[in-house]
Amino acid sequence: MLLSVERINVAYGHARVLSDVSLNLDKGERVFVVGRNGAGKTTLLKTIAGFLTPTEGKISFAGETVNTLRAEQMANLGVRYVYQDKRVFTRLTVRENIQLAAFAGNEKLDVAIDRVVQIYPKISQFLDTKAGGLSGGQKQLLLLGRALIGDPKLLLIDEPTEGLAAGIIEEVFKVLEMLKGQVSMLIVEQNLAVVRELADRVYAMKEGKIPAHLTDKTDIRDNAVLERYL
Amino acid sequence: MGLLPRTHHGAERGGEGMISTIAYGLTIGAILYIISIGLSLTFGTMRIVNFAHALVYTIGAYALASSLPFFGGSFVLAVIFGVVVVIPLAYLIERFVIRRLYGQSIDYAIIATYAVLLIGVDACKWVWGATPLSVSDPIGTAWTILGVDLPVYRLIIIALSLLVFVVLELFFRRTVVGKVVVAGLEDKEATRSLGINVDKYFSFVFILGSCLAALGGALYVPITSLHPYMGFQVLLLSFAVVIVGGLGNMRGTFVAAFALGLVMAVTGRFWGAASETMVFVVMAVALIVKPIEV
Ligand SMILES: Nc1ncnc2c1ncn2[C@@H]1O[C@H](COP(=O)(O)OP(=O)(O)OP(=O)(O)O)[C@@H](O)[C@H]1O
Ligand SMILES: [Mg+2]
Repeated sequence: MLLSVERINVAYGHARVLSDVSLNLDKGERVFVVGRNGAGKTTLLKTIAGFLTPTEGKISFAGETVNTLRAEQMANLGVRYVYQDKRVFTRLTVRENIQLAAFAGNEKLDVAIDRVVQIYPKISQFLDTKAGGLSGGQKQLLLLGRALIGDPKLLLIDEPTEGLAAGIIEEVFKVLEMLKGQVSMLIVEQNLAVVRELADRVYAMKEGKIPAHLTDKTDIRDNAVLERYL
Repeated sequence: MGLLPRTHHGAERGGEGMISTIAYGLTIGAILYIISIGLSLTFGTMRIVNFAHALVYTIGAYALASSLPFFGGSFVLAVIFGVVVVIPLAYLIERFVIRRLYGQSIDYAIIATYAVLLIGVDACKWVWGATPLSVSDPIGTAWTILGVDLPVYRLIIIALSLLVFVVLELFFRRTVVGKVVVAGLEDKEATRSLGINVDKYFSFVFILGSCLAALGGALYVPITSLHPYMGFQVLLLSFAVVIVGGLGNMRGTFVAAFALGLVMAVTGRFWGAASETMVFVVMAVALIVKPIEV
C-alpha cells in the first residue's frame, strides 16, 4: 500500500474539521474524493501533504509513518500537492515556475520543460510569459505538468476542473487519463462526469467524515449514488 | 541629533544651494535605501517587523570605527569588517528570536525584536560608552559640480547604493536562489509544496539584509556621529521608507528611500526642524492612499 490514512482527526485551532477519517491508496491507483463545499476535502489533502498535522491517528506513506513530516519533506518523498486555486507564481515566468520545480526536484531544466510540454504542448509558446497572465486552464495544466517534475510517486490534486471552460476541462481530463500508470493520484473533484470516467474508487466526504467508500464500478457510474454526497 | 549631515548648508540660497541640497538628499536616500532594503525583505518574506535591524546597523557602525586603527586606517577593510562581523549576530537573532515568531501575531515580533534592540543598545553603551564618537571623511576631497562643492565620499555612497540595487535586482531576477525567494514572497505554501525548505532561504535573506544594514551604518559613520542610540531614529525613518515603498517591494523601497531623502533635505533647507516630521507626513499620506494588508 502506497498511502494509508488511519482514523485521523484534524483541527484548525479548536475547530475540528476531520474526524476519524481513514482511506488508503495502492500504487498506480486513481482514487477520487467527492463531497460538498466545506466537507473537509482540501483539509484532508493538505494534511497528507504535510501542511497540517493530525491530532489523532496515523498517516503512512510507502511504509513510513509521516504524521509529523513537514510539507517540503513530504514533497521530497514524492508527494505533490496541486492547489485548488491554481496557484502559480504569478510574478515569475512560466519557465521560471518550471525552473523552481526542477531545482527542487534535482532535474535539468530542459528535462523538466519537456515533462510539462508532454502533457501540454502549447506551453512552449508561453515559456517567457509571466505565469500570472495565463488563463485558468493554462495555469492548471502548468501546475499539473510542474507537479510531475522530479518523478513524484503520488499526486494530490485538488479540484482540477473547478471553474474551467468546457474545452479546457476536456484537456485536463485527458491529462489525468494519460497519467494513469505513471503516477498514483488522489483527486478531489466535484465534476461527477470526470469522477465516473476516471475513478478506480471513490471516497465520499461529508462534514469531516467519510460515510461512504465506493469500490464498485457500477456504483461509481450511477449518478444517484454519488449525488447523494454532493 | 538629526540624520541630516552636520555640514548641511541649510542657510544657502539660490540655485547652488538647491544643488547641494539635492546632493545631500540623494546621500541620505542612498543610506536609507541600503538600510531599509533588509527591513523590507524581512517583512516581505517572514512577515516580521524586525526592530533588531537597528541594532545590527549600530554594530556595523561601531565595528567600523573600532576596527579602523587595526586595519592601518584602511576604511574599505574596516567597512568589510563591519559587514562581516554582524553575520554571526544576525544568524543568532534569526535562529533564536525570529524563527520562533513565524506565523505568530505581529505584535510578538515587535516586542521580541524590540527587546533585542534594547539589550543590544545597552551592551553597546557598556562597550563603547555613551559619548558620541566620530570618524573623519575617509576621502576628504570634494568635486566641484555646477559650481557646488560635493564631497567625493558622498558621491561614492550614492554610487554604492545604485550598485547594491543592481546586484539585488540581478540576484532576485537571475539566480535560482533569488527566484526561490521571490516565489516564497508571493506564496510560501506553494513553494514548500515543491519540496523547497523556504525558511532556509528566508534565513539567508535575513542575514543578507542585516549585512546591508551594517553596511549602511558603517558608511554613514563619517557623515554623522556615533552613539549607542543612533539606531532608534534611523529605524523610524527606515520604517517610513518601507511603508512608502510597499512592504517587500524591492524597487519601491529604492524609489521611496531616495524620495524621502530628498523630502528631508529640501524640507530641512527651508525649515530644519520639520525635515523628519515631513517624512512621516509622507508616510501617513502613503498609508491613507494605500493601507497595509497584513
Ligand atoms: N485555515 C482555516 N482555518 C479555520 N477553518 C478552516 C480553515 N480552512 C478551512 N477551514 C474550515 O474547515 C472546513 C473544511 O474546509 P475545506 O477547505 O477542507 O473544505 P473543502 O471540502 O475543500 O471545501 P471546498 O469544496 O469549498 O474546497 C470548512 O468548514 C472551513 O470553513
Ligand atoms: Mg477545497
